[in-house]
Amino acid sequence: MSRGTAIYAAKRLVLVLGTAFIVSSVTFLLVHSLAGNPFTCEKNPAGCQHEAAAYGLNDNLFIQYKNFLWNLIHGDLGYSYVNQGTQVMPLLIREAGTSLTLGLFAILVTIVVGLVIGVTAAIKQNSWIDYSLSSFVVFGYSVPSFVLATFLIIITAILLPDWANSIGWGQPQQIPLPAIALGLPYAAVVARLTRASMLDVIRQDYIRTAWAKGLSSRVVIIRHALRNALIPVITVGGPLVTAIITGSVVIESIFGIPGLGKEFVNSILNRDYGIVVGLYTFYAILVGLANLGVDLLYPVLDPRIRYA
Amino acid sequence: MTTITTGQNMGPPITPPGIAEATDYSIAPEQVSLWQDAWRRFRRNKLSMVGMVVFAIVLLTAVVSIFWTPYSLYAQGLGDVAAPLSPSHPFGFDASGRDVLSFIMKGAQVAVVVGVLTAVFTSVVGVAAGLAAGFFRGWVDTVISGITYIGYGIPNLLIAFLILFITNRPSILNVIIALSVTSWMDMARLVRGQTLALREREFVEAARATGTRNFAIMVRHVLPNALGPIIVQATFLIPAAILFEAFLSFLGFGLPSPDPSWGAMVSAGLQDRFLTYHTMIIPSLALLITLMAVNFIGDGLRDALDPRLKR
Repeated sequence: MSRGTAIYAAKRLVLVLGTAFIVSSVTFLLVHSLAGNPFTCEKNPAGCQHEAAAYGLNDNLFIQYKNFLWNLIHGDLGYSYVNQGTQVMPLLIREAGTSLTLGLFAILVTIVVGLVIGVTAAIKQNSWIDYSLSSFVVFGYSVPSFVLATFLIIITAILLPDWANSIGWGQPQQIPLPAIALGLPYAAVVARLTRASMLDVIRQDYIRTAWAKGLSSRVVIIRHALRNALIPVITVGGPLVTAIITGSVVIESIFGIPGLGKEFVNSILNRDYGIVVGLYTFYAILVGLANLGVDLLYPVLDPRIRYA
Repeated sequence: MTTITTGQNMGPPITPPGIAEATDYSIAPEQVSLWQDAWRRFRRNKLSMVGMVVFAIVLLTAVVSIFWTPYSLYAQGLGDVAAPLSPSHPFGFDASGRDVLSFIMKGAQVAVVVGVLTAVFTSVVGVAAGLAAGFFRGWVDTVISGITYIGYGIPNLLIAFLILFITNRPSILNVIIALSVTSWMDMARLVRGQTLALREREFVEAARATGTRNFAIMVRHVLPNALGPIIVQATFLIPAAILFEAFLSFLGFGLPSPDPSWGAMVSAGLQDRFLTYHTMIIPSLALLITLMAVNFIGDGLRDALDPRLKR
């Protein structure tokens, strides 16, 4: 990592933390000022008062916010309001591990499927593969992830009855279905970009030179063409990470995967203020860091790019 | 028509060979406006035309469902629980013995309302903000671009969920607001970019020289020239909104029970998967076909309205 890159990374890191600060503040203030008391006070007024006091909800909003920020800089996101006694930070870190595993497999699906289809369509331009690609792309951004997930569940249930237990988490055979459901729609976008940029590259002189030298088609396509064709494709890296995080919300809920996405849905359904605010902060940092990581990959893959 | 007549008594006009053909205006390309040209190209795109037909059917279904559905949405036990497709009930029954076709029809209404209203709201707000930012620049641009810049750092889903969480009352309006709050930013960025380029053009200068007011320049001179990309963007907003509403309803944040959403139907169908598959497959297909149709229309419009792709 050059010095310029390091300075760039440091600047971006400050920006990520700044965004996370804004997101957590806005979420905290909105949730605590507008969303009302999280405890049901009709049935049990005395208990409700007690609980509200225990969470410091009877304080003035400004004091609550000050306490929240103070805890936040110490890496403490407070407690869950529903599962009382559960600390938010360790919970989210544990769940982030699960989501990360799923996300990495999903990105693997996106990259492998997207590149294979994109490269094939470009090499065999105007073939049936090429023509089906455009339909696949529209399918990719039309198909809701939960529809794809439900169809995958049905298909496996019919074809592979032994796998009917594919819902859940913890066993290796429970990884492929959610990873495909999460990664496949975005593979369409990657495939389209790869195709366009491959078509650009394979008309270049140096590719003709490579063919003329008598190199095998594998070497020409993969080492000479694809390496350069990939550069514009990497620009979708940032949006891809965001899409994977967004998509995991529904996929984890369907497949019963105990990750951040499922927690997000549950905390909102349960109106668990502590976890909601914590998750928003967590997500803001996660998205920021992921985008930063993608941006730092550019100079590695394309030495012409330098952060000065 | 093929010759040049300069006077009455000049005799037969002398036309050098070759010129006659060159000046034969009957074969000159007929003058067509951008929109006629775009429509011609759009019509040639088969997938887009299929998309138009499908979307027209969805629209028609949505309108019909306001006045009539084959069975009442509240009538349970019309047939056997989760009974499969039959001539009198083409889409079968759900787990409560309700007619699935009636629900699909009503669901089309929800999808159309959410999709179209969100696209309209978002376009109005996004176009206004983008025009203002691009035209006035200065602090207006700083504020609007600043908001969109922060908005881009946060996934749309989180913003929408926060709004739903705070309002805490699922309704079509809240879903539309939650969607619009996030999606106007794309439109604003697009229009801002277009406006920044257009405001430097000669016709804007000419309009200003003749004393046209700022508002009139924006609406009558800048906006019409940016309309192509705006229409394309607005078209893609419709499926995005339908998808997002289905997504929310699938997770249980969508519309309350009497408003049947396709997303909620898929979710209910998933619960029935040990009984039958049709209650899950039918709404999924309705959603998928509608979304693909509108996306194909959007693709066709983009190809037709983008002069860079002109063949």
